[in-house]
Amino acid sequence: MSWPPMLMHVKVKNKENDFGIWLPFFLLIPVLAAILIVLSPLIFILILVTWPGGWGRWALNALWAAICSFWAMRGLEVDVENAKERVRVSVF
Amino acid sequence: MSESKKKILEMLAQNKISADDAYKLLSAVDAEKAGNTSEGRRSEDTSDMGHNPSADSGLGGVKLKGKYLRVTVTPGENSTDPRHGDRVNVRVPMNLIRAGLKMTTLIPPEALNKANDALHDKGINFDVRNIKPEDLEELVDALGDMTIDVESGHGEKVKVFVEY
Repeated sequence: MSWPPMLMHVKVKNKENDFGIWLPFFLLIPVLAAILIVLSPLIFILILVTWPGGWGRWALNALWAAICSFWAMRGLEVDVENAKERVRVSVF
Repeated sequence: MSESKKKILEMLAQNKISADDAYKLLSAVDAEKAGNTSEGRRSEDTSDMGHNPSADSGLGGVKLKGKYLRVTVTPGENSTDPRHGDRVNVRVPMNLIRAGLKMTTLIPPEALNKANDALHDKGINFDVRNIKPEDLEELVDALGDMTIDVESGHGEKVKVFVEY
């Protein structure tokens, strides 16, 4: 079973700034899930209404793809460094 | 003992693979037998396996699935030119690539037609609508066999490989 990302760390270091920020996904996920559950009847109706035009199916696929992409972010790491600056993004 | 396991042990005896790799491959064989899919094929600790191509070298169909696509750019040791001093280290989970490929189903048909026309104008007769999600999945799996290793004249090294 794959786990969703729990934390994201963004760090930027240059001559002027040196800051890092931790984004606690493990706190955001329950909030977003609750919002999604609350809004689910509205989303369901919107999808049903727009289904004949083809947009409902597209919206459903888009929502699913976005959730899948977010879920798969765990382990992502980007580290770029040059003489002046260093940017590091890690997802745990 | 199965043929695959024998072959792994033979490769270990011939020092073609390390003990760690052999253990991981044997685990993969067991997982395959147990009917596990991707999750079962993963090893417990794959960090030290790197991009060892022996992970899939003719072991009777045993093939480990890559976990991360790694892209690294390292400047030359004697490089003093700041334009060539970038150091890049990117690790993208393969699952994220798979998920990203699912997004291709969201491309509207009109855009695909435009892409086809653009390809046709360039002399490439290829219909992008023929690309199926299964084909893309196969393509991602096949990335495990790929290693790109480029060194520029400035000493910069670019590596693209799949980490197991």
